[in-house]
This record gives sequence, C-alpha cells and structure tokens, in this order.
Amino acid sequence: MIWLAFTLLAPLGAALAVFALRRAPEGFALAGAALGLAGALGLFAGAAGGAEISAALPFLPDLPIRLVAGPLTATLALVVATVAAMVLTYAVGYMARDPERPRFFGTMLMFVTAMQLLVLSGDWITLLAAWEMIGFASYLLIGFWHGRKGVPGAAMRAFLYTRTADLGLYLAAFLLIGVAGTSEISATLSTTGTPALIAGLLLLFAAMGKSAQVPMQDWLMRAMAGPTPVSALLHSATLVAAGAILLIRTAPMLPGGALLAIGLVGGITAVVTGLMALASKDLKRLLAASTASQYGLMLIAVGAGVPIAALLHLIAHAAIKSALFLGAGVFQHDRESIDLDTLAGAGRARPGIFAGFAVAALALAGLPPLAAFYSKDAILAAALDSPSAAWLLPLALAGSVLTGAYMGRALKVLWSGAAETPHDKVPLMAVGMSVLVALAATLGFVFKPLEAMLGAHLAEPGWVVPVMGLAVGLAGLALGGLLAPARLLGRLLVPARNGFPLAGGMDAIVVRPAMAIADACERFEQHLLALVLAMGRLNLRIGDRAQSTDRDTIDRAIFGLVDRTIALGTRARRLQSGFIHREMALTAAGIALVTGVLLAAPLYF
Amino acid sequence: MERDLALLAPELTLAATAMLMIIAEMFRAARVVLAIGLAGLAAATLLTLPMLSVDATVFGGTYRIDLISGWAKLILLPGTALSMLLVRAEIAGRPREGSVQALVVLVTLGALMLSGAGDMMVVVIGVVLTGLGSFALVAWPRDDAATEAAMKYLVFGAVTGSVMIYGLTFWFGGAGSTLFSELGQLRGQTFVTIAGLIAIIVGLGYKGSLVPFHFWAPDAYQGAPVSIAAYLSVITKAAAFFAFAQVLRDLPRDGGWPLGLALISAATMTYGYLAALVQTNLVRLIAYSSVAQSGYFLMGVVALGVSGFAVPAIVVFAAAYVAMNLGAFAVVMVAGRSLEDLRGLGRSNRWLGVAMVVFVLSLTGIPPLFGFVGKVYLFVAALEAGFLWLAVIGILNSVLALGVYLRMVVPMYRDADAAPTIATAPVLALVLAATAAATLGLGVLAGLLLP
Repeated sequence: MIWLAFTLLAPLGAALAVFALRRAPEGFALAGAALGLAGALGLFAGAAGGAEISAALPFLPDLPIRLVAGPLTATLALVVATVAAMVLTYAVGYMARDPERPRFFGTMLMFVTAMQLLVLSGDWITLLAAWEMIGFASYLLIGFWHGRKGVPGAAMRAFLYTRTADLGLYLAAFLLIGVAGTSEISATLSTTGTPALIAGLLLLFAAMGKSAQVPMQDWLMRAMAGPTPVSALLHSATLVAAGAILLIRTAPMLPGGALLAIGLVGGITAVVTGLMALASKDLKRLLAASTASQYGLMLIAVGAGVPIAALLHLIAHAAIKSALFLGAGVFQHDRESIDLDTLAGAGRARPGIFAGFAVAALALAGLPPLAAFYSKDAILAAALDSPSAAWLLPLALAGSVLTGAYMGRALKVLWSGAAETPHDKVPLMAVGMSVLVALAATLGFVFKPLEAMLGAHLAEPGWVVPVMGLAVGLAGLALGGLLAPARLLGRLLVPARNGFPLAGGMDAIVVRPAMAIADACERFEQHLLALVLAMGRLNLRIGDRAQSTDRDTIDRAIFGLVDRTIALGTRARRLQSGFIHREMALTAAGIALVTGVLLAAPLYF
Repeated sequence: MERDLALLAPELTLAATAMLMIIAEMFRAARVVLAIGLAGLAAATLLTLPMLSVDATVFGGTYRIDLISGWAKLILLPGTALSMLLVRAEIAGRPREGSVQALVVLVTLGALMLSGAGDMMVVVIGVVLTGLGSFALVAWPRDDAATEAAMKYLVFGAVTGSVMIYGLTFWFGGAGSTLFSELGQLRGQTFVTIAGLIAIIVGLGYKGSLVPFHFWAPDAYQGAPVSIAAYLSVITKAAAFFAFAQVLRDLPRDGGWPLGLALISAATMTYGYLAALVQTNLVRLIAYSSVAQSGYFLMGVVALGVSGFAVPAIVVFAAAYVAMNLGAFAVVMVAGRSLEDLRGLGRSNRWLGVAMVVFVLSLTGIPPLFGFVGKVYLFVAALEAGFLWLAVIGILNSVLALGVYLRMVVPMYRDADAAPTIATAPVLALVLAATAAATLGLGVLAGLLLP
C-alpha cells in the first residue's frame, strides 16, 4: 500500500509542487522520479516475493477505484519508473536553456503519474480515466513548443487520432462491465463467446490508435514536433506502450478470431512502418516509424497467443528506444537539425554517445547477447508455433529484416561524413543515456527469472529460431549499411517516405464524413428556413395587397388615423418578418414527427 | 393541512421572497433586492435539507415531497443563486434590474413546481409559471433581437402549451383522475397512453429543448442577456427533466413508448452536436451543445421504472449540468459572444482558461470530472433498461462533442499576444470558482455523497 502511494503520489506531488511554486522544477522532477522509482522497486520486490498488493478506494457505488500490483503490473510499473527517471535526468541537461521549464517538468510528471495509474489500475473506470489523462498530457507535451510552425497541428492530430481510437476502449469497457456486472479488470477477463470477440476487436481498435498501428500510424511520425525527452518517454514505455499493455493484460480473454486480427494488424504494421523507417529522411521520424514497427512485432506475439513474449520485447524496446532517442537528441543538439543529410558524421564527433547509440541499435536489430535478441527470438518462436504461422511468421521475419536495415542505415549515416568538434559537454545527458544503454545490453539476462516470476514458461529455444533471428538481423544490417534506401526500395521509396498516404487515410474515413454530415444538416436547415420564409413572404404580400387596397379606398376618407395605423403596421411587420410563421410550421411538423415516431415505434418492438 | 404547509416550507419561503423582492424593487433598491433574493434562496435550501428522507405528498396527492423534488431543490436553488450573481454582473445599475431578479426567483418557483408535480394541473401551472417569467426575461434588453426572440419563445410556448393541455385530457378521460399516481389505470389503453404521452413530450420537450422542439433555444439564448440565457439553459431545462421523471415513473410501459423516447434521445444528442459544429457565435454554439445535453438527460428518462439507476442518473447529471453549463456561460460573459473573442484567452487569463477547460472537458464527459460521473450513471441506466444501442450512440456522440468543444479550447491557447488580459469582475470570479470547484470536486465526491 505504501509503495503504491509512493509510485503514484511522488510524481503527482512533484508535478503539483512545480505548478504551484514555478521554481526549482529540476529538483522536484528528479526527487519525484527517484521516489517514484523507489516505490516501483518496492512493488516489484513485493510481487517477486509472491505478494499481490491491491487497494480499493471508494468511488462510485459498486464501482470502487482498484489498484493492483501483481507480477505483471508491478513489472510494467518498474519499467515506466526507470525510463521516466532516466529521461528526466537527461531532460535536466537538454532543457537547461528553455525558459518554460516549469511547464515542461510539471507536464512530464503529470504524464508519468497518469501512466503509472494506467499500469496499476485494477478496474476499467480507473483505466479509462488514466487513458484519457495520458492522451491529454501527451497533447500538451507534443505541443510544448506551440509557437513553432506546424506544432499545434501535430499535437492536434495526435490527439484526434488517439481520441477516435479511444472510442473502442470506452465501448469495450462498458460492454465488459455490462456482461460481467463488475468493473474489476481481472473479473471481466472470464468473459467468453461473442461478447469477448467484440470486446477484443474493440480493444484492438483502441490499441491501434495508441500504439500507432496501420492505418493509424500517421500521427506518431508527426508527433516528433515535441522536445526530444518527450519523444523518448512517449515512444518507449508510455503513451505508445499503452495500447500493447492493454492487449497484454486482456490477452487471457481474447478468443481466436480476435487474436488472428491482432496478429495480422501487428504484422502488417511491422512491415509497412519498417519500410517507412527505411525511407525516412530524418532521424527522429526514422525512430518513430521504428517504434510503430516494433509494437507491430509485439502485437504479432499477442496474436500468436504468447503475450509474455510481447511483454519481454516491450521491456527490451523501452530501454533501447529511449536510449536511441536520447542519443539522437544529443546529435540534434550539436547540429541543430534532425535531417539525416545534415547529421552525417555527427556520430564520429562524439564517439562515446555514438558507441551507446550503436549498442542500442545493434540490440534492436537482435544481435546476441543484447536484450532484444532474446525477446525477438521469443516472438519468432511464438509466430512459428501459432496456428496461423503461415501468416505471422513471414511478417515477423520481414519486420526483423527491416529493423536491421533501418538501424544499419542510421549507423552508417551517423559515422560517415565529416566530424566537427562539439562545442560543449553534456554530462547529464550522458548519464541518463548510459544507464539506458547498459539496460539495453544486459536486460536479456533477467528475462528467465522474470518469466518464472510471471508464472509463464516459454519453450526452450532449439537452434532453429536463434539462428533464424540472427540471420535476419545480420542480413538486415548488411542491407541497410551497404545499400542506399533508393536502391533497396525502388519505386516504394516515395510512397514510403510520405507515410503510405492511402493506408493512412483516417482523415478520409472519419474527419471528412463528419464534416460533410454537419454541412448537410446546416444546408437542410437553410432550405427549411428558405421555404418557411417564402411562405411568410407570400403571406406578407397578401397582407400588403390588402393594405394597399385599404389605403386606396379608405385612406382618402380617414387621413391621419390610417397613417398612424400604417406606421404601426410597419413596426409589426419588422417583428414578424416571416419568422413567427416559421415557428408555427416547425411546431406543427415537430408534433407530427413525434406522433409518427411514437406510433411507429411499437411496430418494430 | 398544517403538515402540508410545513412540508411546503421551501416553496412558501421562495414565494414570500419573490414578493418581498418586488416590494423592495418599488423603492429602486437593487442591492436590497439581490440580498433578499440570496437570503431567501439560502433559507429555502436549508429548509430542504431535513426533508431529503421524506417521501410524502401534500394537498391530496397533487404535489410530491420526495427524493426527486428534494434533490431538485438542492440543485436548482443554488443554481438560481449563482444565476442571480451572473445577472448582477451583467446588468448592475441598469433599469429594472430588481424586476429581473424577482422574475428569476418566480421562474425558479415554477421550476420547483414542475420537479414536484404529482398532478397534471400542477405540471400545467409549472409550465405556465416558468414560461411567462422566461418570456419577460428574454425580452428585457428591449431591442429588436431580444423582442423577436421573446416573441418566438412565446409563440412556441403557446402552441406547445395548448397541445399539452389538450393531450392531457386523454389521460384524464382514461384514468378518471388528474393524479399521476392513478396513471396505472391506463394499463391496456395503449392509444390513450400514447396520446397523453405525446402531449407531455410536446410540452416538456419544449421546456427541455428536445429535438424537434429546440428551434426556439438558440434564438432565445442569443437575443437574451447572456446571464439570462445561462439561467434558462440550466434551471428550466433541468426542471423539465425532473418533471419527466415525476410523470413517467407511474406510466405503464405499454405500447413501446420507451423506444420512441430513446429515438428522440438519440436524435437530440446527434442533431445538437452536428448543429453546434458549424456555429461561429459562441452563445449559439453553447445553445446547440445544451440541446445535445438534453438528449443525454432523456437517456435517464427512458430507463425510468426498470432501472434503479434512472432517478440517480437524472439527479447527478442535472447537478453536473447546472454547474458546468453555468460555468461555461460565465466564461462567455467575461470573454465575449464570438468564438473569435476566445483567441489567446487561455494564455492571457490563465485561470479563466483553466476554468473553461474544466467545463468543456466535463461537458464532453471526460473522467474524473462531474459530467463524466453523470454520464456513467446514464449509460448504466440505459444498459439496464436494455438500450445498449442508445448507450453506444451516446458514446459515439462524445467524439462529435469533442470536436465541438475543441473549437472553443484550441483558439484559447493559440496566439499568445492576441488577447489582452481581461479583468474579471469579483462576482463573476466567485461564480467561476464555485462552478469549477463543483465540476472538479463533486465528480470525485459523487460516490461518497450518493446512496
């Protein structure tokens, strides 16, 4: 209980302190992150000792707020806390000259709080609340430099895309609560049959939005507009991870149909976004596309029925990708650009940082004994053993080749070219990054005990899968290092660079139809208005005719009185202006409509 | 008789308060009028507190003192007090200020009668009492726009009111009584049930601005002073749905009428948000958004009688709606009536921006704000009543809602230097703080406060 409070309240308290005091934001951020990490370690130690810590706070009647730190959620909380602590350390150096540091650190801490709440939530309502909070906080973080061109648009797009997908989560949560009669996540996982299939597909939809799976991958590439620590945090263990975490946690409930859909979405994403990463012209977009691609691989594992493999890859990827982003941030810091052409040789100028970046890159490509070697093997093995291996295995292999290829390309570009001596030292950035690199290199060795703790046993790998994994990793690296993307991709290069505009057609599917319907309604109302106005004008014309007849005949007889009447009449006419007729007509039409609906409704009952 | 009068203490206090306010207005003492009004509202609220657990009727069953009317008082009376402060901030020192305040209290008295109605005639009186006062309030500015708006409101009210009275005669004929508690007699007489129900939907649907009886609302809100629009959009509307709850909980669920109401609910929320998407005038935008909120209210009405959540859902959502909609209108009073007026406001007036974001997110239904809690209750009630599809439409509409509300929020945080810092009048700041605190705090506390 105390560790739960530490994990959640330390970052929250630090955020509130930063917002309230608006000074010493770095101190509060580091203290909050450190205490949060301590809390997460406590939770993890407790869960490893076999004790599940849970708490239920009173909220709505029969729907209490539940927090659960079991083996799975405690592990995820530890991953989030570790990455957050390292990224915040790095950010102290990265943001040193930004005048708006209080806003930055306050929002980052809010974001970390929301993510921990999401990970530890034990009921659907809390999960929904946390889900909304990370969406909103990420909107603020991506739009942090709102003054720059294109930034508000990028933040808006990220928010709208993920928001649309959130619908899936809302529907799934209400469906599961309705079927199970409780909001407790673990209790709803016993749902079976059609409700489970529908809920599974809805959850997949929600996860596709947050984890940037095809066709909703577009927002992630544009979300690079935020500061680099934001990208590092969002892409590794938090925002994007939320989708995969959701599926991993609900995996026990998912029936075969939903699993197949998840695997296919993941596989297609792994390949499509892998191609985009390879074609990308700037380093951060490359890494962003790579994130989507790696989450695609995790979805393959979930789809193959081995969520534990997805979890291992999520952990490995969290360390690797945050390290890569932090490295990219240093190069960006040096060259004031993230364009790959401008960055040529940037790695040679900072051999230390480049070494870290290279270790992380090779880890992602899946070279032994680095972390992702083991997790990727687990995914390949899962794909091979699954009933839909014919679909999943080729996609997983293609995704792995592409991983090697774009990492090889990035390393080659960073190393080849003229080195310029950097103008300053970056000690804090280096500290944050080196811890993450060390984790990226060594995490693979703790996977075995972790599996035991989670009560899952992966099949002992034979020699086929590791060899296959190593072969595709090396092949990819060689291809990416030796051949230019234009040679590799040929005619695919331009569409891949533009993010496969047809596949990313969310605008066409959601935004434009909604606006078209709204316009049509507006036009309909205008037509209605025009019609009623015409009726009103007709009435007025008849009135005018009568009035003029009156004037011609009686006016001469009773001069002054009639003049006065006409003046009054003009005033009244301005009041009427046909509108009152409209009200009458609309009322009558409305009554007729309601009568029709009420009389017709029983016929279909 | 004495027991009846004791149970009616809040209503009688309110009536006496209104009379005193009119007398004070004769001496042109607007401050005194306001003070009397606020004191009277506070007294009536306090008198209500001990009666929350009472379940009784007075005057031969024609008026109910029960859970619905008790909570209605606790919601409507403080809402009226906040509205009076808004009125004060907008028209202080202008002619007939005291009359406006007295009318506001009288209209609230009508709203209370609607919320406690146990008899068809009480509903009619409530509709007329709220209606007559509202027409005068809308016409207060005496310019063309206000006069036209009041005229439309009046004509619409006259037509729907007469249709309602005509239709209620069917129920009287069928049940042999004007008491709602006797509506059970209608079992089996499907046609009579439906005919009377149409009348109720027309009469109360007009008050609550349900599609297709919403046409008056945007014009009336636009023509009236902003504070009056705020008042009408929350108090008379919430009263209409409390009245729905009183009437329909006794009506036999024959003839599939819940399905008809569900269709109207779906149409109202969808149409309201679609129309709001294309507005440029901020008052009209909020007007259409509150039309959409009426559709959500109706979800609770649909579930009356089959779901135990229906009445709590209407009460909680009404409380949330009063707080967040009054707050949004208060922001409009500070900022201005056009969407353009919001540009950069969130940067130049930090707290105003925060308050607006709170109201808007609550209106959208984002957890953990009060509006979300209300909507959860409504969805659960609809699910229990077997209207899964209605809950789904409600959730789908939240995407449209977000589109609508982001149109307000996004300009607020663009163009830092576009907007000057606006001094918020202390009265307005008080209202903003109260409504924002309620929207934020009650969402978290709702679970503790409610049975």
